[in-house]
Amino acid sequence: MRRIVLRRLAQIIPLVFAVIVLNFVLIHLAPGSLFDVMTSEQQITDPSMLDQLRHTYGVDQPTWVQLVKYIWSVMRLDLGFSYRQNAPVLDVIMDQLPATLILMLSATAIALLVGVTAGVLASIRVNSIWDNLISLGAVFFFAAPSFWLGIMMTVLFAVKLGWFPVGGMRTIGTDNGAFADALDVMHHLVLPATALGLFYAATYARVMRASMLEVLRLDFVRTARAKGLSSTRVTLAHVMRNALFPVITLLGLQLGTILGGSVVIEAVFSWPGIGSLLFDSIMSRNFPMVLGVLVLGSLLVAVANAAVDLLYLRLDPRIRPR
Amino acid sequence: MLTLTVDFARRFARNRAALVGFVLVVVVIGVAVAAPWMFPRNPLRIVGRPEIWPFVNPRYPLGTDSLGRDIAAMIAYGARTTLLIGLCASLTATIIGITVGATAAYFGGWVDEVLMRFTELFQTIPNLIFVLTIVSILGQKIEYVTIAVGIVSWNPIARLTRAEFLSLRDREFVQACRAMGMGNLRIMFGEILPNALPPVIVLSSLVIAGAVLFESAVSFLGLGDPNVSSWGRLIGDGRTLIRTSWYICAVPGVAIMLTVLALNLVGDGLNDALNPKLRDR
Repeated sequence: MRRIVLRRLAQIIPLVFAVIVLNFVLIHLAPGSLFDVMTSEQQITDPSMLDQLRHTYGVDQPTWVQLVKYIWSVMRLDLGFSYRQNAPVLDVIMDQLPATLILMLSATAIALLVGVTAGVLASIRVNSIWDNLISLGAVFFFAAPSFWLGIMMTVLFAVKLGWFPVGGMRTIGTDNGAFADALDVMHHLVLPATALGLFYAATYARVMRASMLEVLRLDFVRTARAKGLSSTRVTLAHVMRNALFPVITLLGLQLGTILGGSVVIEAVFSWPGIGSLLFDSIMSRNFPMVLGVLVLGSLLVAVANAAVDLLYLRLDPRIRPR
Repeated sequence: MLTLTVDFARRFARNRAALVGFVLVVVVIGVAVAAPWMFPRNPLRIVGRPEIWPFVNPRYPLGTDSLGRDIAAMIAYGARTTLLIGLCASLTATIIGITVGATAAYFGGWVDEVLMRFTELFQTIPNLIFVLTIVSILGQKIEYVTIAVGIVSWNPIARLTRAEFLSLRDREFVQACRAMGMGNLRIMFGEILPNALPPVIVLSSLVIAGAVLFESAVSFLGLGDPNVSSWGRLIGDGRTLIRTSWYICAVPGVAIMLTVLALNLVGDGLNDALNPKLRDR
């Protein structure tokens, strides 16, 4: 078991390596020298600083040397320096990462809760009005752009009804201790997390419904019923548990998409995460930051994917090696 | 062939949701094609008083935006951008996906291994972040947005093509082709691909829907091509006015939602009609 965990984690390394190489290719695809763009956008004119930067980025050397150097520096977690924030890229990203993680986790939790519940409800009342309503809702939320949903929810729940704040993560100028702060953050979190989560909830509801119907037909369910278990217990403990696997697979596959989605949602709700950071960096053409977000984002997804795979291994005894 | 087509159409039409989707797609295509006749002048031109609400002035059925531009005209022209980017991005994704998937499955061994790792790489990179990075580095042009969206969307197509090819590559007809001395490329694309194509086409139609959503997000963030009218951009522009004129955001959002919905319904319908397992249920 331990060897499998280690092997799965080791698979991350070549993946991240490839992302770094891809990053390097992107830099070289840029029209003109990215170095010139970088230095002119950051308004660096001091010749000694330019020389130092040229050395750091190795622009005066052959391409393959540059590639090796780039890989080496990323391996040492040196993603470059952001002159805009006057801090190393990694530090700035790490500062903003928690906010994004909170948003992603909450959105995923909402998606799972709403999606799985809706899918189970639809599957135990197939072709009822509930089933049809849930299917209709799923079709709509699957088609609505999350940023638009976010804006519409802001109009209704923040502007018209005033239940939730329009944006941000904390109320400015309040300091009532950790508990009040956590509540405040949660209050700010409701709209963005829901807007981001509903699209995935729609996906999970559809998958969960189909998967439940599939499992309900299997022999062990009949056995469980024959044993005299209550129908709630059969549904929850036997059917649902087995029907969850496709949803977990999908969840693992979609982590990258959720991270991408949070970029847009953060822009809508001025949520201070790496999405906002990326957006600002793109607007100010702060390329070391943009590429840093791409590398770290990929690493995050790779690690999370591995975690989902291992979770799978734990949940499904059939694929567990002896 | 004709009976096959009729048979297919009948099966497709049996699915009422798919039919609704099909009609909606036809409407969107119709609006996109007819836009220059319906609104002969530049859609980004100022026509009247700003912030007229929809259904108030019959000359501007969907109202005007903060600058006094006709929202209906911008929606009509936006349909062209949306469909064009959706179709081209899906085509790009399909070509890359089929090439990668077919090569991986046909040759197997280390080729398969390398190509599937490559596919995995694109599954790991957060797709929207990648699109934004490409557009920000290459520039805000409609071609770059299209290519970028295509590059992040080929993944599922490659996997599906690979699976289809794996189940077909050792069949007798393929062995017969080999025995006749046919070249690899001709066997792959001339003989196996036509048999593997139906499910891939279904997936491509779903990729169009995804591409439309991608494009709308990119132009919503203000990173789309500034010279074409786009639904996402319209929402982005209207964002500052949600306290007074939220309809400026609402209208183009409904357009995106209906288009994506229609494409999804058609894709599902195609899937049901082409999937032999569900036939004559």
